[in-house]
Amino acid sequence: MVAAAEPGISAQQPKEKVDPIRWLKENLFSTWYNVILTALGLYIIYLVAAGLYQWGIADAVWVAETRRECLDKNPNGACWAGVFAWFEGFIYGRYPLDERWRINFGVIVLVLWMVPLWLPRVQGKIGIAASVVAFYPFFAGYLFMGGDKSLFLQVMVSIAIVSFIGVIVHAVIGVTSGGSLARTLLRLTGVSGAGDKLQRNLLIIAALAAVAIAFMAQAQWEVPTVSWVRWGGLFLTLVISGIGITTALPAGIVLALGRRSQLPVIRVLCTTFIEVFRSVPLITILFMATTMFPLFLPEGFTLNKLVQVIVAVCLFAACYMAEIVRGGLQAIPKGQYEAAHAMGLGYWRMMGFIIMPQALKFMIPNIVGNLIGLLKDTTLVTIIGLFDILNMIQAASQDVPWRGLHKEPMFVGALIFFIICFSMSKYSQHLERKLNTDHR
Amino acid sequence: MSTVEVQSIRDKEALASAASTEVIIDIRAMNKWFGQFHVLKDINLSVHKGERIVICGPSGSGKSTLIRCMNRLEEHQQGDIEIDGVTLDTNLKNIDQIRSEVGMVFQSFNLFPHLSVLQNCTLAPIWVRKMPKAEAEELAMEYLTRVRIPEQAEKYPGQLSGGQQQRVAIARALCMRPRIMLFDEPTSALDPEMIAEVLEVMIELADTGMTMLCVTHEMGFANRVADRVIFMDEGEIVEQNTPHEFFENPQSDRTKLFLSQILAH
Ligand SMILES: Nc1ncnc2c1ncn2[C@@H]1O[C@H](COP(=O)(O)OP(=O)(O)OP(=O)(O)O)[C@@H](O)[C@H]1O
Ligand SMILES: [Mg+2]
Repeated sequence: MVAAAEPGISAQQPKEKVDPIRWLKENLFSTWYNVILTALGLYIIYLVAAGLYQWGIADAVWVAETRRECLDKNPNGACWAGVFAWFEGFIYGRYPLDERWRINFGVIVLVLWMVPLWLPRVQGKIGIAASVVAFYPFFAGYLFMGGDKSLFLQVMVSIAIVSFIGVIVHAVIGVTSGGSLARTLLRLTGVSGAGDKLQRNLLIIAALAAVAIAFMAQAQWEVPTVSWVRWGGLFLTLVISGIGITTALPAGIVLALGRRSQLPVIRVLCTTFIEVFRSVPLITILFMATTMFPLFLPEGFTLNKLVQVIVAVCLFAACYMAEIVRGGLQAIPKGQYEAAHAMGLGYWRMMGFIIMPQALKFMIPNIVGNLIGLLKDTTLVTIIGLFDILNMIQAASQDVPWRGLHKEPMFVGALIFFIICFSMSKYSQHLERKLNTDHR
Repeated sequence: MSTVEVQSIRDKEALASAASTEVIIDIRAMNKWFGQFHVLKDINLSVHKGERIVICGPSGSGKSTLIRCMNRLEEHQQGDIEIDGVTLDTNLKNIDQIRSEVGMVFQSFNLFPHLSVLQNCTLAPIWVRKMPKAEAEELAMEYLTRVRIPEQAEKYPGQLSGGQQQRVAIARALCMRPRIMLFDEPTSALDPEMIAEVLEVMIELADTGMTMLCVTHEMGFANRVADRVIFMDEGEIVEQNTPHEFFENPQSDRTKLFLSQILAH
């Protein structure tokens, strides 16, 4: 390829100007067999695209009451009417119609809570991320389950509400003035001149007061119980894989460090744990979790199946993650440890500031690959009778008016998975480029 | 100036600094093994405050191992090592304290590639010395200026030349305000044209009265700054002397052989 160097900007790499016709000639039609391959490729693409277009758009039936009606209108086309009728089911499962706003609301809160992580001027991103991981699950858990709140849950929900509002206000202040919530509060109350310790204590008192107010406010708030049995669809898939994804990395790091530990007891425990869980298929672990796990529990103590499944998925994911982390740690040269030791950094600081950040960067492709795998693996919960998105898709084809409707819902399901997984993969590539400060 | 003149000046200075009789490193009857392999054999060495020592010897003679024992990157099995009054043993507190008083510069720089030059320099002062960030940055800029690369503070190590990286490594170690600096062949991974810039920085550092132990084969440097040259072979300290005596009048055959080899280049 020819790079047309522009004079005058030699400081930067010259931008390649691509002449499209030339590009085509050089890449697709350079030799006679290249011409044949190109033609063959184009023909195959044409066949697939034309077939899809004919089936999915040209011959498709968009409005119908039953599959019969679809077939009557056009037996060769897709019956999207059935997908429309079931689409909400794919997303929310059998969650009661009147309560579905709670899922939407939960998702909106989560998105708003996490948006500040991507805003450049907001400070304290690690704290924000930690608040999401630590408190959102309690808020969302109650929102989705409903019913009576235990005192503990009430306190956690109050903390979650306060952190959420705090993060939002903090983000707004950050974006508009580059400041932080804490400093603004101190300035407004006129105590910014006070000593560090006093300031910190005042902030803690303010936070406690806010939690107390939130506690009173949420006491009135109650939403009806929705049993986990009714959870389903993409919602359930995301709940299981979301919890799996957020616990896998921290738990994986702990297990990996444990496996490299100097203390034999910890090392043997972690190694055994990792090897056992890695050597058993997820589906077996799921069955064991739902059938054998209850045997170990004390009499009268029942766990619901969903919790068992989530625990199983988390353990499984953590073990895979542990091995990825261990691989990443092995890629760090010995000199990095020595330099950190030589300057007097302790074990945890060395790991936290020097080793892990570098190792995690090497690991991003593997981590994201693993998380994508985890998301797809959660469809296995279908087999033990949870109504995740795959099971809802199958349910659609059993539904009396739409009996036999297989292709279209599967197509949509595949599309949904593709969109989610592809975005994760793209984001991971972006992250890799952004974090590539090594210039190695 | 002729070498002889330089030498006489150095000898006078050596006498002057030897006047500081405070012992800062005291190694007594120290032995170390790697498994069955006896790397360091009955090492006795005491270093006065402000003394500049060059350690040389053939490859594999245990030079690196010796200085790495002084900040516990390697563990010794027998004998005592006392640094600035603190004994190096299994007590983690002592180890941490000694490490924060002893700076080390490695042959392969070992900068942290994911942190900027400035962050490389401020990390330990902030987290080990508990220094406020602004103060640590000011200190780092001071030392970066001293090693003559303040303009590179925002860059990442991978964007610098070898000589610049090694100077950052020196600044990073100095930011802890160490009382002792250990150098393990700081110039042997560098291209010849960069060696001079690093040596220059080290010479300036020596002139400030820092206690320095330096493993190097740069005999010009030894001649210029060392108060004492130590020759090691097969895990033993074979000979030690002022540079002048060491180069002009080596005592043992092993030293003579080594010098003839190294000066042949
Ligand atoms: N971790 C280790 N385990 C086993 N043997 C080691 C280890 N580190 C060093 N050795 C051995 O100890 C001896 C001394 O090594 P050391 O690195 O101290 O030599 P050196 O004098 O610094 O040599 P060089 O000039 O090549 O750097 C060598 O024979 C080496 O092979
Ligand atoms: Mg060495």
